[in-house]
Amino acid sequence: MMQIYKLDGNTIDVVSCPPRDVRKGDYVLVKDDALNRSLIVQVTNIGYANVPGVLEDILRDSSAHKIAGRDLDFLDVKAFVDVIKDAKIFRCKVRRAIVEGQISHDVSWTPSRSTSQLCPLTDHEFLELVGSREGRTITLGTTTGGAAVAVGLSTIDGKLNIITGKKGTGKSHLAKLLMLGLIEQGGTCVVFDVNGEYVNLGYSEDRQKAALHDKLLVLSPGKGFKVTLAYTGLGVFMRIISSVLDLPENSAWEIRRIWSSLAKRGGLTLTNLRKSIEGVANSYVRDALIRRYESLISTRLFTDNRQEASTLEDLMARLREGGALVVNLQGLPSRFRHIIVEFMLSKLCSLLDRWVLRALFLFAEEAHLYLRKTYWEDIVTRMRHLGIFSTFVTNQPDSISDSIYRQADNVFLFNFTNENDLAVVSRATMVDVETINVIARELPPHHCLVLGKVVNDFPLIVKIKRLHVNTMGKTRLFFTKPSEQKGLDLHEQPGIRPRGEPLPPPVYSR
Amino acid sequence: MEIAEFSQIVPENFVEIGDTSLRDVVDLSLARRTLLPRLDGDDFEDEVELEANLGNRYLKPIPVVNVGDAVPVFGVDTSNIELGETKEGFLCAIRGSIVGRENQAYQYVRHGPFIFHITEANKQYLYNALRQKCFDVDEGVGAPILERMPEHLRNILERWLQKQLSESCSGALLLWDGSLTTQTVNSPIPVLYRLLQAARTEDNIVLAFSKKTSISAFGRRVNDLIDDREVPCLLDIDDVVRGQYGRYLRFFGKIYVVKLMAGSLSFRLDIDRRLSQAEGVHAVESLLGSDLVVDSYPETLRLAHVLSRFSASEVIAMQRYVAEKYGLRIIRRPNVRQILFGPYGGVASRRS
Repeated sequence: MMQIYKLDGNTIDVVSCPPRDVRKGDYVLVKDDALNRSLIVQVTNIGYANVPGVLEDILRDSSAHKIAGRDLDFLDVKAFVDVIKDAKIFRCKVRRAIVEGQISHDVSWTPSRSTSQLCPLTDHEFLELVGSREGRTITLGTTTGGAAVAVGLSTIDGKLNIITGKKGTGKSHLAKLLMLGLIEQGGTCVVFDVNGEYVNLGYSEDRQKAALHDKLLVLSPGKGFKVTLAYTGLGVFMRIISSVLDLPENSAWEIRRIWSSLAKRGGLTLTNLRKSIEGVANSYVRDALIRRYESLISTRLFTDNRQEASTLEDLMARLREGGALVVNLQGLPSRFRHIIVEFMLSKLCSLLDRWVLRALFLFAEEAHLYLRKTYWEDIVTRMRHLGIFSTFVTNQPDSISDSIYRQADNVFLFNFTNENDLAVVSRATMVDVETINVIARELPPHHCLVLGKVVNDFPLIVKIKRLHVNTMGKTRLFFTKPSEQKGLDLHEQPGIRPRGEPLPPPVYSR
Repeated sequence: MEIAEFSQIVPENFVEIGDTSLRDVVDLSLARRTLLPRLDGDDFEDEVELEANLGNRYLKPIPVVNVGDAVPVFGVDTSNIELGETKEGFLCAIRGSIVGRENQAYQYVRHGPFIFHITEANKQYLYNALRQKCFDVDEGVGAPILERMPEHLRNILERWLQKQLSESCSGALLLWDGSLTTQTVNSPIPVLYRLLQAARTEDNIVLAFSKKTSISAFGRRVNDLIDDREVPCLLDIDDVVRGQYGRYLRFFGKIYVVKLMAGSLSFRLDIDRRLSQAEGVHAVESLLGSDLVVDSYPETLRLAHVLSRFSASEVIAMQRYVAEKYGLRIIRRPNVRQILFGPYGGVASRRS
């Protein structure tokens, strides 16, 4: 039996004796028939009821433990005592109400302590009550009770998502799942893949081509993916050279002049650019420009060979029916990564601005490694209006500013045990601190607490489903044989593929 | 007798009569109401609190020496607790424990809890049925007032356990909680008398430790008068106490003050009056060699007390038990003291 014990703000303490099998994260319906209303509350913490005398019992049992003896408990009262000792207090947070059969935000009323009926909602009942009624959904996985959890596309479309948790908990796995789900539904995605985890998503676990193989284009900047200066454009070029390569203003003015002059003459090539820079009279400016030029050249992103060069327009055209552009940043120097990301974002904004692209979903893994913090906010605010809908994936929650958390529509929170990490997340997310602190700390791997629009603002623990593609996200170990480490295929790492083994990495080539 | 054998002795009367009291509230109120003129309350009265004053009399301590001979020691204690009120009366539970020490190991058997629904209508039946069935007495007697019923039922259980020990053990020390005193002098053959006789027949010696008697001399507690250098020792106060209370009480034991360890605690000790003083002293000496003594109190008795005591969670459990099994609802009656005096009403305490 469950009964309301205390009500304090939006916290309800429920006594359960005999204790019901309710877990943290489960939902309970508090039904007040007299008012014809119900509260939907979520169990955020569980403890033993502070029953008087339990300590005395325990101490007595422990002292009598050493003495052999027999209890002639003819009435079997001990069974009742055991039930009392196991009585639990469920600390619940009020999430919403049901008024006249409709979900309501009005939780200002108080249910009767003596007559309210409390019953745990099964996962199916809960999802039926609050779940998405949309036709197009992405299945995230299952609840802890095993009911399938599917999120409506509209709750991701146009939204800002954050996936965070400590390493090895399944963040990237969820990002991949979301991305593949979006692709399946015809969405266009761009992924900044820092660890080269997305490059094999086109293949199944047994290395066969997966269904979405042709919808994944892997760009290897400087290798298969190069662009001309003309395609880059002055604006993008100046942004890279100023923001990423920190070119002083005077020098920037000079390079802008050189660029315009070369463009006017139709001679905008790397060779001509170098020559013009060498002709700059001011030695300080010249040296500054040469250093930046060399940096750009070393990336091998730029080429004068039109046959070798690509355009994002061409690539995006191939993904018209949905697909993902995986920008493989693995192994690239930090500055090069910054250049690539700056280039990609600038060009994508341009495509969106010109309606070449309708919108796209951007997946940014550990974005602090290739973007300045201030740029993130720009992505969230400005680019959102252009149609870039971001999903940030990070194991360092403090690398995301509070202002971004506050704008987040959905947060997928995996396990955190570090107090500081939890404090950062709980400070800024849309639910109470206790929910974050208690539930996130105890989430097993591949389980996440989903907050936000995707779950209709009902925090929900979801066991993320398995992907039957080569996700490659597992930690590489020294003392475990490759054959025992499923999902991590050393054979696919460059340079150590045994001779005669097939399966080239599915890198996009022109 | 091994203590395990006590677990074979089932106090069926307590189970059955308790069950009847819970089940047949209506029947009992109609059919079993019998008024008996004479009040009983001798053998099953809660222990009488005495205040013995030694005046200026000097009492020489009787030294007690641990002679090292180990004999079996058994301690008995019981407790009762009220579970709550019903429309008709109130619910109470009793429980008793026997703890034995033999070969330097303790063992226990715990009987109960036994739950009773006591009402004005059924108290005669409860009291007499238990009394008659447990002690083979034929005559019916008047039950005590309702509020004192739990203590009397507990005492019936305690005497019943003592009876089992007295009849079953031989050559043992039987430690009882309380005294060997009864209130009614005129009672023909008190149960207590028969218990002691049974114990004697089996060569058992009954030592009753009482915590309730306060003894003073020269205006000071007698404990302060016993020098720690003289412990362990006994003080024979039998004449003094009988001189003061002999007209009202019947003493089946010879009364001593016992202090077995240095410290602040001493107790009244009653030893079967039929034994000589030398036999009594020897029994205490045997106790020192047979049981642990902490704060001048035998460990077997302490354990018997601990094991029989009810905890708050057990009370809640028993309330649930009667509600679930018998559908009896516990009600909360207005507390008159609290209404009248508020926070100055004091705490109504009950022995358990």
